[in-house]
Amino acid sequence: MLKLDRPSRPTKIDDLLPPQLVARLGALDITSRKILSGKLKGERRSKRRGQSVEFADHRPYVVGDDLRHIDWNIFGRLDRMFLKLFLEEEDLSLHLVIDASASHDAGSPSKFVFMQQVAMALAYVGLSNMHRVTVSVIGGANIAAAAAPAPTNPEPTEDPAAPIVSHLRDLRGRRRIHELARFLIGIEPGGAASFTEACKRIAITRRGKGVMLVLSDFLVKEGYETGLRLLVGKGYDVFAVQVLSPQELEPDIGGDLRLKDCEDGDLAEVTISAPLLKKYKQHLTAYCNRLRDFCARREIMHLLVPSSTPVDVTVLDYLRRRGLVK
Amino acid sequence: MTFLTPTLALVAAAIAVPSLIILYFLKLRRRDVEISSTILWKKAIQDLQANAPFQKLRRNILLILQLLALAAALFALAQPQIRSGQSPGQRHVILIDRSASMTATDGDPAGVGRLTRLEAAKRDAIALVDSLREPDYFGEGGDQAMVVAFDSSAVVLAQLTGSKPELRRVIQSITPSDAPTSIREAIRLARAQAARKTFTDDKTGNTVDVGGASVGTIHIFSDGRLPDLLAPARLDSAGKKAEDMITPEDVVVYHPVGRPQAWNVAITGLRAERAFDDPAKLSVFVGVQSTARKPITAEITLAVEGRVAAVRDVNIPAASALVPGAADVEAAAGGSPPPPGPVAPGVGGLVFTIERPAGGVLTLQMRVPESAIDADGPVLASDDTGYLVVPPAKRLAIAMVTDGNLFLSEVLEGMTLARPLRTVPTAAAQKFIESRDAAEYDAIILDRWLPTLPGPDGKPAPSLPPGRFLVVGSAVPPPLGLTDQGEGGPTLVMDWRRDHPVLRNLSLDSVVVRASRKLEVPPDSPAVPLALGEQGPLVFESSDTGRRVIGVTFDLMESTWGFDPASFVVFVVRSLEYLAGTLTLADPTSSTLRPGQTLSTQLPGGAEGTRVILPDESAQPLTMGPAGEVNFAPLDRVGIYTVEWQGPAGASDVADGPRARRAVAVNLLDPDESDVAAKPSIELPTNARIITSAAGEGVTSLWPWLLLLVIAIILVEWWVYNRKVSL
Repeated sequence: MLKLDRPSRPTKIDDLLPPQLVARLGALDITSRKILSGKLKGERRSKRRGQSVEFADHRPYVVGDDLRHIDWNIFGRLDRMFLKLFLEEEDLSLHLVIDASASHDAGSPSKFVFMQQVAMALAYVGLSNMHRVTVSVIGGANIAAAAAPAPTNPEPTEDPAAPIVSHLRDLRGRRRIHELARFLIGIEPGGAASFTEACKRIAITRRGKGVMLVLSDFLVKEGYETGLRLLVGKGYDVFAVQVLSPQELEPDIGGDLRLKDCEDGDLAEVTISAPLLKKYKQHLTAYCNRLRDFCARREIMHLLVPSSTPVDVTVLDYLRRRGLVK
Repeated sequence: MTFLTPTLALVAAAIAVPSLIILYFLKLRRRDVEISSTILWKKAIQDLQANAPFQKLRRNILLILQLLALAAALFALAQPQIRSGQSPGQRHVILIDRSASMTATDGDPAGVGRLTRLEAAKRDAIALVDSLREPDYFGEGGDQAMVVAFDSSAVVLAQLTGSKPELRRVIQSITPSDAPTSIREAIRLARAQAARKTFTDDKTGNTVDVGGASVGTIHIFSDGRLPDLLAPARLDSAGKKAEDMITPEDVVVYHPVGRPQAWNVAITGLRAERAFDDPAKLSVFVGVQSTARKPITAEITLAVEGRVAAVRDVNIPAASALVPGAADVEAAAGGSPPPPGPVAPGVGGLVFTIERPAGGVLTLQMRVPESAIDADGPVLASDDTGYLVVPPAKRLAIAMVTDGNLFLSEVLEGMTLARPLRTVPTAAAQKFIESRDAAEYDAIILDRWLPTLPGPDGKPAPSLPPGRFLVVGSAVPPPLGLTDQGEGGPTLVMDWRRDHPVLRNLSLDSVVVRASRKLEVPPDSPAVPLALGEQGPLVFESSDTGRRVIGVTFDLMESTWGFDPASFVVFVVRSLEYLAGTLTLADPTSSTLRPGQTLSTQLPGGAEGTRVILPDESAQPLTMGPAGEVNFAPLDRVGIYTVEWQGPAGASDVADGPRARRAVAVNLLDPDESDVAAKPSIELPTNARIITSAAGEGVTSLWPWLLLLVIAIILVEWWVYNRKVSL
């Protein structure tokens, strides 16, 4: 909750992705409920069929099928033609959205560092499995971009000092991981970008289908509804990971305070008292439940993670249980 | 409760309290905290603002607690004090002197004659009672007081009580007496009321008395003439110091009454003697004193049975200052009045010689001429009159119990007795002693024989019945007599009372006793040794209610005393006269009584309807003991007390038809008591806290407790504030 004066930031890839975590992430892959289930039904046919070696099923031949996929062994045995179907080894678009507005640079452990680590871990999984990984940052200032304005895939769509959204698009392959890490490390949270506006831009610019993971605290004064609504659809499987610091969940402040919102400078004079803390918790619970309900209605998978949760637990346990990775 | 620095506290309060309230309403300085988002807090505040009064109340509780803490601190700043002896209240012992000097009429400082000292003391004591703390609603915390009136004896008039009406009533009821002053018994009585400090030894289970607890504040209402205040402690029978002294631990408040410059004239000595050669010639010796700082010529009237027999003037010199050098200052000051202070009274005396073969009551009245009376005196009237009861010049009736004693028989043969000497052999003596015949005799000589009487434990033991006895050759056992501790061996007379009427001007130097007894005077015994040998008293005098004894503890046959007629004959004759009351010596050690003592006399057989007529003409009935003795106490006022009865008169009594009278004179005759100059302060043992006025008491400061309260309130406030408790 409290904004730290001098938060410790990750400075190298090992800070974001500890080697021992790498070992455990190697076995994981990104999955998508939507896309996988569609393929299993065989309703869509992929253009890149046949590139896979993984057998899926047989089906009777119909006129117009590619003769190359007829299983001749079965024809020899049964004198009937069956097509051999293979699992589509379709590359997945993994889109990681990190909310880097100023409010995330708070808490102990820092919400933003936690988000960086989770994003890095998932990006590693995606890159390892040859998925197309895109990272979008809402707000914040990309120091790396400002310092070295020629990355491999630079798309500084806005003024780098105060961009609404900055992207790192379509990375594939494990060798791009360092580039991604540099990008993530280079983000300095700050500013007060409009969540809705940022979501609109992300929704406009994204392509294809895939999995989208939004990492934010969703404490948005203007409301998160419009933004999330824009992100849903267009074939994206959206996960909303709400990261809150332990101090936001259980405030440990006391006395007569003037609370200052670090984003818009809004002031709230409070005298911490038992009834006030009780009210605060009631409102926090209600807020989170409202978000959860909103997400559930729109097939968004909501996940509330305290920033004190270890990254491996988050990825290997929470996200796996929710079907993001397997 | 009193405050030492109320002004300081008021000033501090005038600054601090408004400051606190202003600070509070100026609002506390809030700490700035930057947080991620105020969205949830805003909502929470909005919710709570619906309960705004509740919030204000909570804030007010903090303010109230702060105000309370501030109030306690300010209260502590004022240094409140309460009188000590917190919860059970303080104890006060009110000792009111009612001795003869307290009847002096200078109680009112404005002048003589308006108020006696006792009245002034009573007025002051009632003012003290009025100032006592009332008990609280639970009946606790009030002061308690006890009232003791004392002259030569003391009486507790009110036990420790908090009832002011009772205390006032008791103080009002105190009447003056003419007795001299002794404060010791009053202090002892007060101590007896104090709780004892005891502790129990766990091992042995014994309860050890570690002495008297504090009796409380001792208030002495007196003119300061307390001669025995600083006397050393008496030892009681157990060898412990009697607790009748003011100890250094005591808190004493002295309330002086009377005027230091008051003066008085008094008759301080009185004695009548008949000449040996002419018993009809009666000489009356009068000693007078004056504490006036000027010579006084007083007129003394001698009245016999109410009729003036002689009037003479006596010149009393001026009293001189006791302080060294004061006389020089006086001389230098010339005519200016001398400063008050202790004085050596001027003394004078004169002798009346009258022909009076019969007995009677002599009254001596001293008058100061009008010209000598001034604003400071004379203030005391009760010592201006002296009384003497003179027995008629008469012969004695003597009985002797003996189996034969040459020396005594020789002496008695030479005496002219009223009736022939009755000699009773020891075999018949017990019967004689128990018969009423014995009361017919003025004195009975018991030679080497003692009657056997039932003792206090019921067993027969050698003792004496009521009567007057000259006991020779056997030691009278306690309680009247001495403790016999065996053979004492041969001895000389080491010392004797040369001032005693019986032994005056006699020499016992040549007396040798071959077989004495080893004797000891028990504690609390009335026995007074008159002559001492190596192993204890050889001759003693003792008296109690109804009995009077002169005892010779050795056998005359075993001594050389009988061969010394110069001393032995005079001793026997004087002893018999002394016992019979015809040896008239009205000095303080002799037969006239002093106020505060007990009148005790033996009536002849057949007396009934006894009563005593007091000096104020009122009569009181008397109860006669089985052997005809009567007692009357206390003798409060000076004057003639007349015991009157129906029946035969004794040898020295006045018969008036069927009734008989016996007069007893009661005189003050106390030079110290007649020196009436009041003392504005008294001396006490070192460290004893002496306060000369009622102001100032032991106090307890409250501020440490108030500071503790402040700390407690701040802790509560901190808890409320920090624990965010909902109030």
